[in-house]
Amino acid sequence: MDMSFTADEIAFRDDIRAFLKAELDPALARKVRLHHDLTKAEMEGWHAKLQSRGWLAGNWPKEFGGAGWTAIQRHIFEEESARAHAPRIVPFGIAMLGPVLQKFGWKEQQDYWLPRILNGDDWWCQGYSEPGAGSDLAGLRCEAKRDGDHYVVNGQKTWTTLGQHANMIFCLVRTNATGKKQEGISFLLIDMTTPGVTVRPIVLLDGTAEVNEVWFDNVRVPVANLVGTENDGWTYAKYLLTHERTNIAGVGFATAALDNLKRVAKSQRHRGQPLSDDPLFAAEMAGVEIELMAMSTTNLRMLSAAAQGQAPGIESSMLKIKGTQIRQRLDALTRRAYGGQAMALTLEGNEGPDGADGALAASATWLNNRKLSIYGGSNEIQRSIISGALAKG
Amino acid sequence: MNFQLSDDLRMLQDSLRGVLGRHAGDDLMPALTELGVPQALLTEAEGGFDGSGAAVALVFEELGRAGASLPLIGAMIAAAALSAAGRPADEGAALAFADAEPGTRYDRGVAIAADGDCLTGRKTMVAGAEAADTILVTTADALWAVASDAAGLTIRPYPLLDDQRGADLILEATPATRLGALSDFDGALARGVLAHAAYALGGITAAVDLTLDYLKQRKQFGQPLIAFQALAHRAADLAVEVEQARSAVTNLAAHLDAEPALRDRHLQACKVTVGRTARLVAEESVQLHGGIGMTEEYALGGMIRRLLAADTAMGDADFHLERFARGEPAFA
Repeated sequence: MDMSFTADEIAFRDDIRAFLKAELDPALARKVRLHHDLTKAEMEGWHAKLQSRGWLAGNWPKEFGGAGWTAIQRHIFEEESARAHAPRIVPFGIAMLGPVLQKFGWKEQQDYWLPRILNGDDWWCQGYSEPGAGSDLAGLRCEAKRDGDHYVVNGQKTWTTLGQHANMIFCLVRTNATGKKQEGISFLLIDMTTPGVTVRPIVLLDGTAEVNEVWFDNVRVPVANLVGTENDGWTYAKYLLTHERTNIAGVGFATAALDNLKRVAKSQRHRGQPLSDDPLFAAEMAGVEIELMAMSTTNLRMLSAAAQGQAPGIESSMLKIKGTQIRQRLDALTRRAYGGQAMALTLEGNEGPDGADGALAASATWLNNRKLSIYGGSNEIQRSIISGALAKG
Repeated sequence: MNFQLSDDLRMLQDSLRGVLGRHAGDDLMPALTELGVPQALLTEAEGGFDGSGAAVALVFEELGRAGASLPLIGAMIAAAALSAAGRPADEGAALAFADAEPGTRYDRGVAIAADGDCLTGRKTMVAGAEAADTILVTTADALWAVASDAAGLTIRPYPLLDDQRGADLILEATPATRLGALSDFDGALARGVLAHAAYALGGITAAVDLTLDYLKQRKQFGQPLIAFQALAHRAADLAVEVEQARSAVTNLAAHLDAEPALRDRHLQACKVTVGRTARLVAEESVQLHGGIGMTEEYALGGMIRRLLAADTAMGDADFHLERFARGEPAFA
């Protein structure tokens, strides 16, 4: 048993820290910390800085232009970035589509699309969920009908995160409506500037509009944009979901949220003392910190097993559940730390009192992060995966 | 023992439901005023006609269920307190109540202090301040009345989580009238806590009802969601907690005029129970809905924000739990 990082891993971590110190603008980090919406330019700017070091695609093999990091290196990068409040790498191209193209795409597709992801030519979004196909994703109905050397796509996708910035969308579409529903799905790349594509924002309960509905009305898509083979899309979709879940524990985000909570608790008065000195509140913070300590090691144990070639099974589902529980508990405690101040969402540009922006961020974050236990396969779906595997074992 | 409403209150409930079904937005407050709702919240001595715990609980539960966002609670507290101080407000005057302060959960007098008959400092999250003629302001141990046009008073408005208009008050040597020690107004303040709790209870029932409707109607994997036992049991747990919350509100409503020590234990227990249930229902109702529950367009979003605000107002579950455990009075 050796839980310490190797000398190489420590050197890697120091390298990341030095980069974050030199390159991360404090004003941008503050926006991230307070959960303000970032502009497209801010996100693209951060991607470009990472790419200039070859670090944008830590998860990609070097042959495709990635950093080829180990699972432990990726964990270190994600934790250091989150703790420094660096913008999150927009996952749709780098974390989701990239690995699918590398595993299932044709050589021409890899050669064309992968470099464009790295250098920011394309902004990808994800067309998976539909109004009638959420947890039951395989029930999707958005259809693609072959017409010569094109598919004609009709239907609707929803919960398309940052689709307002995207020029490309990867979609699960129905190419066969007979037989088992999982066996008639294909994976299609669609140019969002094609006539017939409409994007409408969905305003969420925190007032933001980061997700969208996307409509397809007789949208013509070249057959060359079919990934892999027709009707095999469900296999690719499942593969993508396992990649979506590699950072599913969100240890870095939880650690950053705990750091923030401790700072808030020090700053707020309670019975004439800092709230952090209050035994009741301190015990609540300690409880979640203890959970995070254990989860962090659960995460490392599972990453380490994966690095030794063990296929990921129900572990990612376990990490998703525990990770989101911890983050939502931290969000709730941060709101509670502000007490009577946590009653507004926005000060409409008024200069707030000290700490007011923090109290606003606490409510907005609480509301927005309800999504954590819903998206990427809800926690209920994860429980079904775990219990299904346990029942078989 | 009788848990039924009196005939008068049942009539008020029926009328109130009718008005809430017919009016919304800017039309609602005039309709409620015509119905006499503000007077139902005040005793005869205060210029109203009821002011009992049962009346306050009934009115605010209905408003909470309907999702009406009105600055009625602050106005009720202020009217009762001004009356208790022997300085009843002019008829028709708009009143507000300023309690929360920046930089602290619920301590009073951290961001504001009195110097003679002037107040200097800051209050935050004041519902209805923008429209008020008179604002009642708490300091460390006293209650003050401040005219909205008083010198040195700046009001900075913004929207609150519950869709009301709130504001920060910035006071710079602002002339104020000391109404008395805070503990002299514990009856008015207790009524305010009951109102927030009953409002939350109405919102809790509305959110749980909406969630149940959705579980029955939404199909995935070829079945309605309620057919999945894991979801059905969570809905059942919510239903159990709703009854606990209702009993906690009933306890406070029935003891609103009891001797202060007993009333305060029920007050604290009520705000703890309702606050915890509000948090639970806010979390679970969104989760049981899935993504649709997070959208602004769907009714649940506003309900969730109102539940969070109602827990937070006048001491959240944490605040009252600690004071209950320490055997402290609710207001001192």
